[in-house]
Amino acid sequence: MIIQRISRIISNYEMIMPIFAGAVTLLFVVAIFSLPLPYYEEQLYPKTYDPTSPLNPYDRGGPPFIQIDIKEQYPENSPMAGYVTSYLTPFSWYMANTTLYLGTTIVAHPGGILDEILYNTRGLDTVVEPTILFIAFAIASYLYRKG
Amino acid sequence: MGMDNPGGIPYFILEFGDELVYFSPYTVSLFILALVFTLFAVIAKPERQVDIVFGGDAFYAKETSLAELKFRRFMAIACGFASMGAMVTGDLFNFTLFISLVGICNVGIVAAVKNRHVQNAAYQYGIVALSATVPLFGAAALIAATTGTLSMVELWSNASLAVPLVVKALLVLGVMGEGMAPFYAAKAEMFRAPGAPYVIMCSLSSLLIFLRVIEVVLVI
Repeated sequence: MIIQRISRIISNYEMIMPIFAGAVTLLFVVAIFSLPLPYYEEQLYPKTYDPTSPLNPYDRGGPPFIQIDIKEQYPENSPMAGYVTSYLTPFSWYMANTTLYLGTTIVAHPGGILDEILYNTRGLDTVVEPTILFIAFAIASYLYRKG
Repeated sequence: MGMDNPGGIPYFILEFGDELVYFSPYTVSLFILALVFTLFAVIAKPERQVDIVFGGDAFYAKETSLAELKFRRFMAIACGFASMGAMVTGDLFNFTLFISLVGICNVGIVAAVKNRHVQNAAYQYGIVALSATVPLFGAAALIAATTGTLSMVELWSNASLAVPLVVKALLVLGVMGEGMAPFYAAKAEMFRAPGAPYVIMCSLSSLLIFLRVIEVVLVI
């Protein structure tokens, strides 16, 4: 009986979103009650915030073309990491010199910062991320033209 | 390697910088399944549904237009590649990215069908997949914070790194939201869509990511 009633409720496909949202809310409440979770002090990709640097939080420091030490999980897999911590086009250079917020515009203009960890040691992520975007654009454009 | 991996000892490990892709007996079998099904999606022609009119000789043949076929095949192949990636990746953030790619490809496979009911169902599923990214990426962020690493190899070989149970639950819930398609209540609506091999790709990819997330939760 109860199974029948449940299956009748969830057979309506407009109910699936509220049910999923309910499950997520429930789990988030549990997660909030299980706080504080232990914080592991020795982080793999440590972030340092220097509010005076315009490249914040992507400022890995070091002069260009001289290898600096970057913390990686498997340093032997990316021997070239740490050579190019930032590359600025003239426009980015201008923005970095006039404002403090170049680091936040990394996706908003071409030729900005090359983040060593983002593009060198975690390159597969940067491939998958735009793929998700391209698939989303493909679906949207297909629906717009044919839908 | 200190602890045992329930998926078996990896045959070989492919290195992409900090992201290790490992081929253990478990991940290899799932990978081959995804690969074979992707090949099927490449070579198969879509099913042609026929509705018989009751009490007569007439029937309706549902045609899949060429543009729709091409788009759905593209989505099915992309979905196959995404599942293959999710099967073998050894990095948690990379895993969550592949899972969300599978989710959006599943939406694409069904959303291309020009049928009001199917598109309504696909829209609802799309919203579920969208909101599932919060627990999914939240879990990845919490794993990074509580253990300091994202590599599954590190997590299973170092016994002192323990992921809290609630974080694992968040990860599983996120994967459930992304791969909900076959368990979806509106299954009949979505699967009414003609074009069999592509719709089955969406079931198979969800099945595979569920199988894989079990291994991930046991390993970390």
